[in-house]
Amino acid sequence: MVLSFFKKSPSGLEHVVARSASMLGDARHSFDLATLALLTETDWASVEADIRATDQRINHAEQELRAELVVHVTVQGAADIGTVLGMILLLKKIERIGDQAANVLDLAESGVQLSHEADTDALLAERGIISTMFGEAAELLSDPDDEKTDDFSDRCQVLADAQQARIEECLHSELPGREVVPRAIYYRYLKRIIANLVGIVRTASEPLPTIDYLDDGETDTDD
Amino acid sequence: MTLSTSEPSTHVEIPTPLRALLVGGLIYLFLVGVSSLEKGINIMGADTQERLFESVSNPVAGLCIGILGTVLVQSSSASTAVIVGLVATGNVTVDEAVPMIMGANIGTTVTNTLVALGHVRQSNEFKRAFAAATVHDFFNVFAVLILLPVELMTGLLSRIATWMTDHLVGTSGSEWKSPIKKWVKKPVEWIVDAWSALGLSGNWLGTAVVLTGLAIVLLSLTFITKNMRQLVADRVERSINSVLGKGSGSIAMLLGLLITVAVQSSSITTSILIPLSAAGVLSLRNAYPVTLGANVGTTITALLAAIATSVPEALTVALVHTTFNVVAILILYVPPWWRYVPVMAAERLADIAVKQRLWAVAYVMGAFIVLPLIGVALLR
Repeated sequence: MVLSFFKKSPSGLEHVVARSASMLGDARHSFDLATLALLTETDWASVEADIRATDQRINHAEQELRAELVVHVTVQGAADIGTVLGMILLLKKIERIGDQAANVLDLAESGVQLSHEADTDALLAERGIISTMFGEAAELLSDPDDEKTDDFSDRCQVLADAQQARIEECLHSELPGREVVPRAIYYRYLKRIIANLVGIVRTASEPLPTIDYLDDGETDTDD
Repeated sequence: MTLSTSEPSTHVEIPTPLRALLVGGLIYLFLVGVSSLEKGINIMGADTQERLFESVSNPVAGLCIGILGTVLVQSSSASTAVIVGLVATGNVTVDEAVPMIMGANIGTTVTNTLVALGHVRQSNEFKRAFAAATVHDFFNVFAVLILLPVELMTGLLSRIATWMTDHLVGTSGSEWKSPIKKWVKKPVEWIVDAWSALGLSGNWLGTAVVLTGLAIVLLSLTFITKNMRQLVADRVERSINSVLGKGSGSIAMLLGLLITVAVQSSSITTSILIPLSAAGVLSLRNAYPVTLGANVGTTITALLAAIATSVPEALTVALVHTTFNVVAILILYVPPWWRYVPVMAAERLADIAVKQRLWAVAYVMGAFIVLPLIGVALLR
C-alpha cells in the first residue's frame, strides 16, 4: 500500500474520471436489466439482486470518489476547485441514474408489465438507443469533444422532448389511471435518466457556472 | 472534463527535473545556513556565548525555549537545525539540547492547531478538525512528560544516540570528516567576508553572520518544502487515497513518515490531515498514527543539518530527536491499553472547545506562548 507512493500512476483527477466512466458502465448495466424486466417477460426477481448490488456499488464508488476529491483539494490546493465541484456534481448525477434504474425495477416489481403492449417494440428500440448513450457519455467523459458533446446534447434533447410529450399525453388521456400512470412514471424516469446523461457530458466539457446558472427556469435543474 | 490540469494555472510551472535540481540547490543552501550559524556563534566572544546560552542549562527552560523558538518560525525542522548548529559550536551541550529538541516537537504542533481554528464557524467540522490537531499536541506532551524525567534521571535517549553516533562517525569529542562541511566552507567564508567588508567585527560580525545563517535556513527550508510539495503532490494524493482508512496504523505511520521526509515538514503532513478530518473523510483514529509518522519523518532535517557540521555531538542531538520520537511511539502507541489516551484527551478538549470557542484560542495562546514564556522567565 505504502509502495503506491513510489509507483507512477494516473493523477488524482484522472483516476476519478476513469472510475466515473466505470460507474456509468454500472449504471448502464442497471438500466439495461431494469428495463428488460419491465419491457420483456424477464422475471424481475431474477435481476433484482444484480440491480440492487450494482446500485450499492455505484453509491459506494460515489462516496469513495467524493472523499478522493476532498483529498485532491487538500493536497493540491484550490487550483482545481472548479473541476472538483464539477466532478462532485457529475458523480451525483451518475448516482441518481443508478437510483432511477432501480426505480424502473420498482415499477416492474409492483406489477407493471409493458411486454405485451402495442408499442413494446418501439419502447425496446428506444431503450437500446438510451443504453448506447451511456457508452457515448462514458467516452465523452474520458475524451471530451465539443462537437460530439453538442451532437449528443441535441439528440438527448429530442429524446427528452419526446418523453415530455408522452407524459403530457398521459396526463390528458381518457384511459384508466392504472394504464397511464405507470407509463407516465416510466417516461418520467427515462426523461430524468436522459437529462442526467446530458448533464454528465455537459459537466465534463463546460465550466460549472454555465451548468448551474438558473436561467429563469430554462435550465432543467430537477434530477 | 477537460481536467483542469489543462486549464490555465496561477502558479509557475517548473519542469520536474529542473524543480528537482532546484531542491538540490536549496538543500545545499540550507547546509550553508546551518554552517553560517555555527560560524557566527564561534566569531562571538566566549563571554557573549556564555551569556547567550546560560538560560538553557535549566531543562524546563530549555524545553520552553524549544517550544517558543519553533512556534516563532513555525517549523521544527528549522528550530532543530538551529539547535544542531548550536551544539556544533560547543556552547550548548547534548544534555542541554535534548529538552530543547523535545520542546521543538511540541512547538511544531501549533501549525495544524492554527489550521484547525480555520474551521471554527462549523461546529461539527471544527470539533473533528480541532481533535485531529490536538491529538498531535497531546501525544507530544505525554511523550515529554514521560521521557524528559527519564532522560534527566538516566540519560536514556542521549545514551542511545551517542551509541549510534559512535558507530556512525566515531567517538564523541573528536571531529569527524564531514564531506559536506568542506563543500559549504567557501560560501560561509563569503558571508563572513561580506559583513567584514561592511566594517563589522567581533560580536556584531558574529550576530550578522548568525542572522544571515538563520535567514538562509528559514528561506531554504520554506522553498524546499514548497518545491517538494509540488514534486510529490500526486504521489501524496495517491498514497493517501490508497492507504488511509484501509491499511493498519503502522502503514499509516509509515505514510506519515514518507510524506514528511519528502516535503521536509511535519506541519505540511499534519495540516493535510486537518481538512480531511474536518470533512469527515478521515477519522481521528486513522489520522493519529499519520501524525506519529510525521514526528519521526521531520527528524530528517536535523540529521541533514548535522552532516554540515564536523562535530559528533551535533549528530548525537539530531539522533536524539529521532530516538525520542521512536521511543515515544514504542511507549505510547505500541501498547494497546493506552494507545488511544491522546485521542480521548483530544476529543475531550474538542468537546470543550466546540462549546466555548474562546477556550480553543486560550488553549493555543496558553500552551504555545504564555506557558513557555512564563517557563523561560522563571527558570532561566
